[in-house]
Amino acid sequence: MATRHTRAAALLSVTATLAACSGGGSSPTVTPTATAPAPVVVVTTGDAVRLAKQATFGPTQALADHIAAAGTSAWLDEQFAASGSNYNDLVTRAVARNFCTAMVPAVATCNRDYLSSTPVAMEFYAHAVGNGDQLRQRVAFALSQIIVASDFEVHSTAGLAGFDQLLLDNAFGNYRTILRMVTLNAYMGDYLDMVDSAKAAPNENYARELMQLFSTGINQLNADGSLKVDASGAPIPNYTAADVHDIARALTGWTYARLAGAAANDGNQVDYSKPMVMNPAQFDGTAKSFLGTAVAAGATQDANIDAVVDAVFANASTPAFVSKFLIQQLVMSNPSAAYVGRVSAVFANNGAGVRGDLKAVIRAILTDADARGVAKTGASDGKLKEPVLFSLALARVLGAKSDGYVFVTRDLGTGEQPFRSPSVFNFYPPDYPLPLGGGLVSPPTKLMTASTILARHNLAYDWTVSGDNRSEFAPVASITGATGTQLDLSPWEALTDPAKLVDAIDLILLNNTMTSQQRTALLGAITAITDPVPATQAHKRAQTALYIVAASPQFQVDR
Amino acid sequence: MTVSRRDFLRLTAGASAVAMLGQLGQSAALADGTSSYRAMVGVFLFGGADNWNMIVPTDTRYAAYATGRSALLALPQASLTALPDVPFGLHPSFAPLLPAWTEGAMSAVLNVGTLFQPLTKAQYVASPNLRPLALMSHADQQNEWQGLRMRDPNLDGFMGRAADREAPLAVPDLISLGGSTLAVIGKSSSPLILPSNGSLVRNGYNAAATDTPTVTRQAANTAFADATGLGTPTTVTSTEISGGYAMALTTNAIISAATSTVDQYFKNPTTGATLTSDVSRQLLRVARMIEARGTLGHSRQTFFVSQGGYDTHSNQVDAASTTTGTQAGLYADLAQALAGFYNAMKALGLGDNVTAFTMSDFGRTFRANAQRGSDHAWGNNHIVVGGAVKNRTVFGAYPDVTLGGNQDVDTNGRWIPTTAVEEYIGAVATWYGVAPADLPYVFPNYATWTTAPRGLLPLFG
Repeated sequence: MATRHTRAAALLSVTATLAACSGGGSSPTVTPTATAPAPVVVVTTGDAVRLAKQATFGPTQALADHIAAAGTSAWLDEQFAASGSNYNDLVTRAVARNFCTAMVPAVATCNRDYLSSTPVAMEFYAHAVGNGDQLRQRVAFALSQIIVASDFEVHSTAGLAGFDQLLLDNAFGNYRTILRMVTLNAYMGDYLDMVDSAKAAPNENYARELMQLFSTGINQLNADGSLKVDASGAPIPNYTAADVHDIARALTGWTYARLAGAAANDGNQVDYSKPMVMNPAQFDGTAKSFLGTAVAAGATQDANIDAVVDAVFANASTPAFVSKFLIQQLVMSNPSAAYVGRVSAVFANNGAGVRGDLKAVIRAILTDADARGVAKTGASDGKLKEPVLFSLALARVLGAKSDGYVFVTRDLGTGEQPFRSPSVFNFYPPDYPLPLGGGLVSPPTKLMTASTILARHNLAYDWTVSGDNRSEFAPVASITGATGTQLDLSPWEALTDPAKLVDAIDLILLNNTMTSQQRTALLGAITAITDPVPATQAHKRAQTALYIVAASPQFQVDR
Repeated sequence: MTVSRRDFLRLTAGASAVAMLGQLGQSAALADGTSSYRAMVGVFLFGGADNWNMIVPTDTRYAAYATGRSALLALPQASLTALPDVPFGLHPSFAPLLPAWTEGAMSAVLNVGTLFQPLTKAQYVASPNLRPLALMSHADQQNEWQGLRMRDPNLDGFMGRAADREAPLAVPDLISLGGSTLAVIGKSSSPLILPSNGSLVRNGYNAAATDTPTVTRQAANTAFADATGLGTPTTVTSTEISGGYAMALTTNAIISAATSTVDQYFKNPTTGATLTSDVSRQLLRVARMIEARGTLGHSRQTFFVSQGGYDTHSNQVDAASTTTGTQAGLYADLAQALAGFYNAMKALGLGDNVTAFTMSDFGRTFRANAQRGSDHAWGNNHIVVGGAVKNRTVFGAYPDVTLGGNQDVDTNGRWIPTTAVEEYIGAVATWYGVAPADLPYVFPNYATWTTAPRGLLPLFG
């Protein structure tokens, strides 16, 4: 085994010199503490970097310094108060389904701009690279992977933007609110066929996935996320086919809101950006019974919705099911039962008698002893960066400012297109086995193939060693307001002492887990690059060093 | 993860099987005395394909079919592609495979699905513990089809376990074109996962470089491949990344060459246009990897191929006609790709050496919902394509399709399977050359399905 190079405390830096602390870019409501009366020396630790990996789209030196200066709890408070990233300009783009086909003359970019996920994904990436409300965005992205609706099947830019806006708005709200809003969301309604589900033959799709994927999970769980078993050792299902059927009946009688002036049965003029509306003629008003809940005949449609949402939200398995998923998204692929138990207890009751308080749940996840501390390198520790997090973490390390388009051109190759999951089962299942992993799971490993491994490598190479004057960074003429992508390596270039450059990379990219052999090899690669122009040499050295580490397994797996 | 008592017994049995491994050696290669080449190609139809519309009885049973599916989903009898010698017809989109059937290179298997043991409706009702876990759930049923443990966690799949029993090769002979999936995960082997599209090039890498900056940079890449001591997920990922780089070097020339002799067969039989569906691109690359089997040193190859989009809860068929719509499009892509693949294999002289077979999450409800779709169900029908299969034969039993009848678990037409996945896929694996001693390892519930009166389907011969 290699000797691990250790340093008790890493870089010293001065908060007063920081420009943009919280996100490295425009920060709508977060005001960094840039006006401290006197320079305060803080020690940025591996733990601050780890928190940035868990709670943001990736650490930068400035962000890590800011977290270290503020402390975990105060930084979380700051993030809980932050907001601003939104899709307001896209939600208003609701158009008829035949908007583009009916256009005369045809406009080549119409489908992309009005009926695809591309504008939403661009804004998602742009916000993630630069906006200050990092934790809100990160939690919303996690939620978009447990409650999945996808452009793979339903094509509406406004609808998708509205769906993700719902998740952003409620990322620190209550999970019940999210479940209710999602249930009546028109984009989801189309995706899982609840829209126009009729009493004569109710559609079971949404009813089933609401339970299996969005709330209870398929089998009963203990509070620590472990499987409950019966006397024979078999798992105990959370629901039966009869439960699915009666919930499907309770959810009948909803249809799209229509665009202004259109008839309620117009098949083209549907408004995906508005909640579904009642169509009482298709509602099954008879009595239902599901999950121990009885709904009396004659109960209103709203009462039926509430009964369904309450039943799945109150289910004993829901806290552990959702909590474990969020831990896997933010911190580690294989959390201990005790960790899941501590978080799910907070989901069940935030201390003030409130169930489903996501702010409390997120705080519990990120302040837990299993999440904090220096790098965790136990056998089961580690979380592979899913492709979206890999590309964004790299971009933030490279000081990127972006309109998001360059990410959209890359993410098919790396294997994960935000809001375009191939199915409601997300890009990967939460129990995907780590191959040859001795029983461990690693959900994002499902996306590791010969081609995505190379796509990840090539992303790191192309944006560093080959990162100058790339055509993919140029603004795209057909996109209104396009600004393209710019990288800024100047903080790295300023570290002209190769040892200091390596120290900084070790801290920010690897939270201080580089071995002495790796350090030596990296120094060798840096010093092998010489150029008579000092600025050029510094630039090329930074590019090469960042490439080597960004492409490494140590950067690709967070600890 | 806790180990159940059942699993513990299997682990014990597995340990003795491992002890025997040294003697068994290259299981698949040795099992076949001629050591001639063979390949199995599993095509997984993700989402749960409604294959009650793939193959339809054309005798007196058609009336019950039409009644059960109703006008919402039933295919008109006249629209079916009739299969000579048997009282069944195929969805019209499968017409491209009619020549394979006629040549005796195609068969069908009826009402096959996940089973823990043979099951009657009375047993289903009385004993939930005799059912496979989590019926009707996509993820669980996919895992049971691919992992073949019906009441225990599935952490590896039958293709991966078959590969476990073969000697390791420089380039794995278990190859997925359908992404990483449980079927190809073994306990000790690693699959090769190739893209259906694009090339495999590692930018900036040059093994022959001699300039100092590149040499030292590549040396640093190598130094950073050491992830020792950082936890299993990091070390496994490091191995996967290094393996991916190596596989790119050996396979890129095969999959991304401008042309190969097999490409010409992947054409639309009617228009002559090059096929563009993802499943056709996957099968084309399978054909290329088979064509290159000598270069790769492969005497056996196992392929996983996928086609998505079958979760047809709505608009499975068009309002105007049940023979068009989402399902018809998916079936057309599948049939054209499989027909092209079969023709490519014949051209390579391997028509009898390669067997393709379909799998899917589950069948769908026989009863339609109001949105011209169908919901999750259980037993399903599948097809096998390859010159080695028995001539013009349909295996298994078509169910009594009475909604709420004695084969329906409720009233929506969710048929209890009468053939187990093991009886179906086990037959293919045995033909492929998995040694008899290895079959219980590859198929954990093997004994249940090979004890009379149960047994592997006589698909071949």
